Amino acid sequence: MTARQKPFSAAVTGLGLVSAAGVGTKATWHSVTHEVTPTNVSQQAELADLPCDFMYTAADLDTTALLGVATQRLMDRFSQLAVIAAREAVADAGLDPLSWDSSRVAVVIGSAHGGLPFYDQQSAAMAGHGARRVSPKLAPLTVINSAASSVCMDLGAHGPSLGVATACSSGTVAVGTAHQLLRAGACDIAITGGAESVLSRLLIASACQMKAVSTRREDPTAACRPFDVERDGFVVGEGAGLLVLERPEHARARQAPIRARIAGYGSSSDAYAAVAPDPEGRGIERALRTALADADVRPGDVGHVNAHGTSTVLNDRIEAEVLRRVLGEHPLVTSTKAMTGHTLGAAGGIETALTVLALEQQLVPPTANLTVPDPRIPVEVVRDAARPAAFDCAVKTSLGFGGHNAALVLTRG
Amino acid sequence: MNAAEVVNALLEERFGVARGEVTADTPLRNLRLDSLALEELRVLIEERLEIDLEEVSLTSRDTVGQLVAAIDGKVAA
Repeated sequence: MTARQKPFSAAVTGLGLVSAAGVGTKATWHSVTHEVTPTNVSQQAELADLPCDFMYTAADLDTTALLGVATQRLMDRFSQLAVIAAREAVADAGLDPLSWDSSRVAVVIGSAHGGLPFYDQQSAAMAGHGARRVSPKLAPLTVINSAASSVCMDLGAHGPSLGVATACSSGTVAVGTAHQLLRAGACDIAITGGAESVLSRLLIASACQMKAVSTRREDPTAACRPFDVERDGFVVGEGAGLLVLERPEHARARQAPIRARIAGYGSSSDAYAAVAPDPEGRGIERALRTALADADVRPGDVGHVNAHGTSTVLNDRIEAEVLRRVLGEHPLVTSTKAMTGHTLGAAGGIETALTVLALEQQLVPPTANLTVPDPRIPVEVVRDAARPAAFDCAVKTSLGFGGHNAALVLTRG
Repeated sequence: MNAAEVVNALLEERFGVARGEVTADTPLRNLRLDSLALEELRVLIEERLEIDLEEVSLTSRDTVGQLVAAIDGKVAA
């Protein structure tokens, strides 16, 4: 596939997933490849009377049963989801936190909004009952980095750790940053991805005012429909997607199965607008070309793209035009957001994990809810059913409010 | 519900402390209550009993019994 030896690629040895599409990697992959309609998207009492009153939730998840009260109380829900996904990813990688060299384990986790729901609750407590009723835990539970610090404490990871905040590209930027830490030799293992949970009336009210979210209240399960001619906005979801990355020699030394490789990363800024992407997609194009060059991969080698595909009118068209311009018409493109919802800062983590599975299984998940493709979308989007395909290289793209673009190039293990 | 019952209930429900772990002589730090958790417990007790514990000085070296006595002093007052 590539002409020369790659300079560096990180080994993916473990995955952990939790979202509306399922609890656990196995359930999630089954859902995104075998089901055509999302199940866990429903109206929320918290959002009553808003133009968008529905959301994707990890309804099958019992956080208290998994974490226990004493652990759970130290985290808002986005960090709880991160810890649950991290435990799965580390177990999947066959790593034992009791015996690893903890100073060489990094944790890099993205989130757009952190503990916004807890902030909402405490704001209401202050307004209703005064300053003496405010929890002393506001800062530690709401800061973006608390997903990373919670995972460090839960697993005993003492290497570099940080939260990444680049809005809806946070998860992808986190994986790219972990890739760079591994390449620089700052760690041997990195637990990385994204986590988000924002059942917040305040946030969704604002998103409605922005006209960014779908208002298809009569049929929430059909509301998120990436690349469809009738798409009208994204639908927020909660979840976490974490990967275990390792320096290749570290994975080889312990004979860990390498499920895929993170071969290249690129990021860029539009420097254009607070919300809208660059109208020509020049920012995401730069990120994608940088990632391809970093991986030493030719556009023709890319067989599959897990797109950002949010189901907004602008994103899907601009992103698809860039994919066509850079990669050509051959890659099989999908957006898995109709099954997970738009999990904002978690999206890049969840979707990178799904791209690993697609490479491993040689199977491209369909874009659920895509019934009438928008004729202005100039790429081949997989729909109706998962498509078996032979490909050695795949791409994950993400765009974030503020113009934060990121792309990863993945290759087979 | 008296002060001891409120403290025991909050420790169990909100901090995941098993009932069997708690006696009057148990230091709060033995229940994994650090200074942050102690402040959180203070807010919860104030809310539950509608009292003000601002002037009560407690550290995690104090025992459950000392905490209950401090609350009783405020409730009685």
